[in-house]
Amino acid sequence: MGYGRDGMYGWIWRHLPGNAWIKALTSIVLVLAVVYVLFQYVFPWAEPLLPFNDVTVDNS
Amino acid sequence: MTVSVLGELLITAGLVLGLFVVYSLWWTNVIADRAANRQADKVRDHWAQGDGGTGGPGALDTKDGIGFLHVPAMKNGEVLVEKGTSTKVLNDGVAGYYTDPVKAVLPTSGKEGNFSLAAHRDGHGAKFHNIDKLKKGDPIVFETKDKWYVYKVYAVLPETSKYNVDVLAQVPKESGKKKPGHYITLTTCTPVFTSRYRYVVWGELVRVDQVDSERTEPAELR
Repeated sequence: MGYGRDGMYGWIWRHLPGNAWIKALTSIVLVLAVVYVLFQYVFPWAEPLLPFNDVTVDNS
Repeated sequence: MTVSVLGELLITAGLVLGLFVVYSLWWTNVIADRAANRQADKVRDHWAQGDGGTGGPGALDTKDGIGFLHVPAMKNGEVLVEKGTSTKVLNDGVAGYYTDPVKAVLPTSGKEGNFSLAAHRDGHGAKFHNIDKLKKGDPIVFETKDKWYVYKVYAVLPETSKYNVDVLAQVPKESGKKKPGHYITLTTCTPVFTSRYRYVVWGELVRVDQVDSERTEPAELR
C-alpha cells in the first residue's frame, strides 16, 4: 500500500518536501516533537500504571 | 514489505522503551529536584521572615513543608518533608509523612508516637535511594524552624510486604520495641528499580536541640 520496499520511515522521507538538507532538518524537528510528547504527556500518564514506583505501605 | 514495516515498529518500540528508562531515571529527577528546591526555598524564606516570634506547633505551615530531613549516611543533603504520601506529593522530590493508613505523629507535637515517612527510591528525586547505606547507630536529623530532632537508627527491615502497615504503628513491634516512645520510620521500595517489596528503617529520638541564631548544625551533621 505505497510503503514501498523501505518501510514507513522511507515513506515519510519521500513525502517530506525540499532537498535532503531540508528533509533532514524536518526529520529532526519531527523526532524532537515526538520525544516532547512522550516526555510531557505519554510517560507521565503511563508511569502510575506500571509497578516501578510505589514506595508506601498500604492496605489496598 | 509488511516485514520492513513490522521491523520498523519493533525498533520504534525499543527506542520508546529506552526513552522511558531515560525519563524514569533521569528526567523525573530533574523536574522533581527543581520542584523540591523551589518549595524548600519557600519554607526557608518563611522561617527567615519569622512571622512574629512564634515557634511552637501552632506556627507550623504544613502546605509547603514542615521541615528538612538530614541523613548523612544517604549523602543526599537535605530532604524537604511534606504532608501526605500521595504520588503527587512524592513526585515533587520530597519525603512525605503518612496520613494514611496510619497517621504519623509529628515530632513537633511533642507526643509519643511514630513519625513515619516515605520517599522515592528511584526517579522523582530518588530521595531515599541510599536507604540501604543506613546502619544501626546512624543519625537521622529532622530540622524544623526552631528545633533539631536527632534520631538514631536502631533497626532495619531490608524486605517486607507492601501490605505490612504494622511497620508504621505508633509502637512498631517488628522493630523490637514494646513501649511507646518517639520513633521515626523511613519506608521506600526495594529492590532498586522495582516496587516488589518495602525497605524499612526505624530510629529513636535521642535528643532535641534548640536552633540557634546561626542555625548551627548538631554534631551529627558536622
